[in-house]
Amino acid sequence: MSHRIAVLSNVNLNFVIRMLKKELGAAEPESLVYETAGYGNELGTLLDATSSYEAFRPDITFLIMDLMEVLDHDLSASSDRIERWFSMLEGALHEERLYYISDAFLWGPELEVMQDTDCRKQSEDRWQECLRNLSRERSNVRILPYRRIIEEIGAENAFSFKMWYMGRILHTNEAQKRMVELLLQTIRLQERIPKKVLLLDLDNTLWGGLAGEADHSPVVLSQEHTGLMYKNLQRVITQMQRQGVLLGIVSKNNEKDAMDIIASHPHMVLRPEDFVCKKINWRTKPENIAEIAKELNLGMDSFVFWDDNPAERELVKAALPQVTVPDFPDKPEELPDAMIRIYRQYFEQAAITGEDRQKTRQYAENARRNILKAQAVDFASYLRQLAMEIIRERPEANLERLTQLVNKTNQFNLTTKRYEQSHMQKLLHDTGKGIYLYRVKDCFGDNGIVAAVIVDLAGTAPAIDTFVMSCRVMGRNIENAIVDDIEKELYEEGCLSLQAQYLPTAKNKPVETLFEKLGYTVIQTMETGGKLYEINLADRPEREYYAEWHT
Amino acid sequence: MKEKIIALMEEVLQLPSGTVSESTRMEDLEEWDSLAHVMLIGELETRLSISIPLDEAVEITSVQEIFEKAGLK
Repeated sequence: MSHRIAVLSNVNLNFVIRMLKKELGAAEPESLVYETAGYGNELGTLLDATSSYEAFRPDITFLIMDLMEVLDHDLSASSDRIERWFSMLEGALHEERLYYISDAFLWGPELEVMQDTDCRKQSEDRWQECLRNLSRERSNVRILPYRRIIEEIGAENAFSFKMWYMGRILHTNEAQKRMVELLLQTIRLQERIPKKVLLLDLDNTLWGGLAGEADHSPVVLSQEHTGLMYKNLQRVITQMQRQGVLLGIVSKNNEKDAMDIIASHPHMVLRPEDFVCKKINWRTKPENIAEIAKELNLGMDSFVFWDDNPAERELVKAALPQVTVPDFPDKPEELPDAMIRIYRQYFEQAAITGEDRQKTRQYAENARRNILKAQAVDFASYLRQLAMEIIRERPEANLERLTQLVNKTNQFNLTTKRYEQSHMQKLLHDTGKGIYLYRVKDCFGDNGIVAAVIVDLAGTAPAIDTFVMSCRVMGRNIENAIVDDIEKELYEEGCLSLQAQYLPTAKNKPVETLFEKLGYTVIQTMETGGKLYEINLADRPEREYYAEWHT
Repeated sequence: MKEKIIALMEEVLQLPSGTVSESTRMEDLEEWDSLAHVMLIGELETRLSISIPLDEAVEITSVQEIFEKAGLK
């Protein structure tokens, strides 16, 4: 994948740009980095339609701003200046481009003697607030965690007066290197498909020692020493869970011993409801993981497995090569850091959507639905018991989720066409395209927006260009309802037939014969195994589904 | 100290170890331009506490001169 990157700043970051070019050139030779004309005129550069920046047409622009320079050392009117900066910035943003804007760290010589420390905090807070608001309103504006770099190495190691006086270079080599790392990491986030589930062992992983070993030697998990290392590890994992990472337990223990600790140990941060699945038994771990994959309806490549026992890790690697198995640190004090690295490497996403925050609840509900499925006498009565509701959602209001669905769905995906958010944005306004988006609710809760269809209306007959559905609602005949809905609408608009395609990939085998089942006729078979279909809209088959339509 | 200075230069200029020597001059290295020079002078101060006054720093054109300014003869 190639990118066009621009880094703009109000201080001299030319050395950062030089390093970034070198690093990115080695990793992605196709990518280009904008050679800035100077610095300090970031808003002018963004606003000027004739600038070399504009001609470069970057797809990602990083704005790394020194707050003190934005304020021009005048802290008395900081709020006004910050608001003005953001309102001008907003006017310069392109919808189809991505922007990362640095958060605030105020630094300057006068702060060393400033007695009123509130003043500094107020300025930083105001910047953060404006930035947070903008990133909420604009899905293409994101926050670059610049402040974290300064805090990690300390201001005294991050800034240099000498370089500032010589060439308005504010940051030391150490800080600049870390900025380059952050930029590269952020660029890579755009292309990596994140993992979904973190599977955890218990003994010597989430706590020290063995559960149920002896009453007089409780597990190591506390507010101090080694116990605190495990507690901090759990804090990191809990935060990951809140940001959409699903958690599971795969552990060899007596279930009661383990659950007693998870439910009632005073220093457990993670609790039973934080896990979407718990396999606490004496079977092999690959068996348990395979069962979890089935229950959650996820591919093996969605899982990361973490266990202190090297033998268990090797067994999982050998039996389930698609499962990611990171190394385990030797010392417990390294546990929280190791987990932070796992998060950044495998789970971190370019943006967190509301859907992500709801994930654990939705997957847990799904596991309950699968239990209901096993109890129901036949499939139709199961679907009836689910009492599903389908709601058509406005694609314009859910661009981010729409893009996410289209780009992340692998199994129920008929053509596996990917559209970047900027492209999707254009499709929304294209009269030659019809975009349909559906939410599904049932007796257990709201599944969220789970299906999207793009119909190409430009040809002689309309054709389904893209049809994706989240795996968490697969196998519930929802596709019947959705296709009915679209066909009905097109027929009412005067269309007589509808075409569709299936293009095979390594993953979409489950929908290979979907259109046959929906009553479509194959009109062409391609060498690649792909098929072209058509249906006469005046003569649509009766399809069974058990869902109510709601608006 | 001389080795430390050379290692720091190679790090800042992103050059493989062994590229910079006591006889290296600014014109020998493409990477050692005025921008990199500012970074070098700054890093000498931050990391090795070698403080070269600004007006003298801009005159420097060789490793030998850096050693002299650092008091290493």
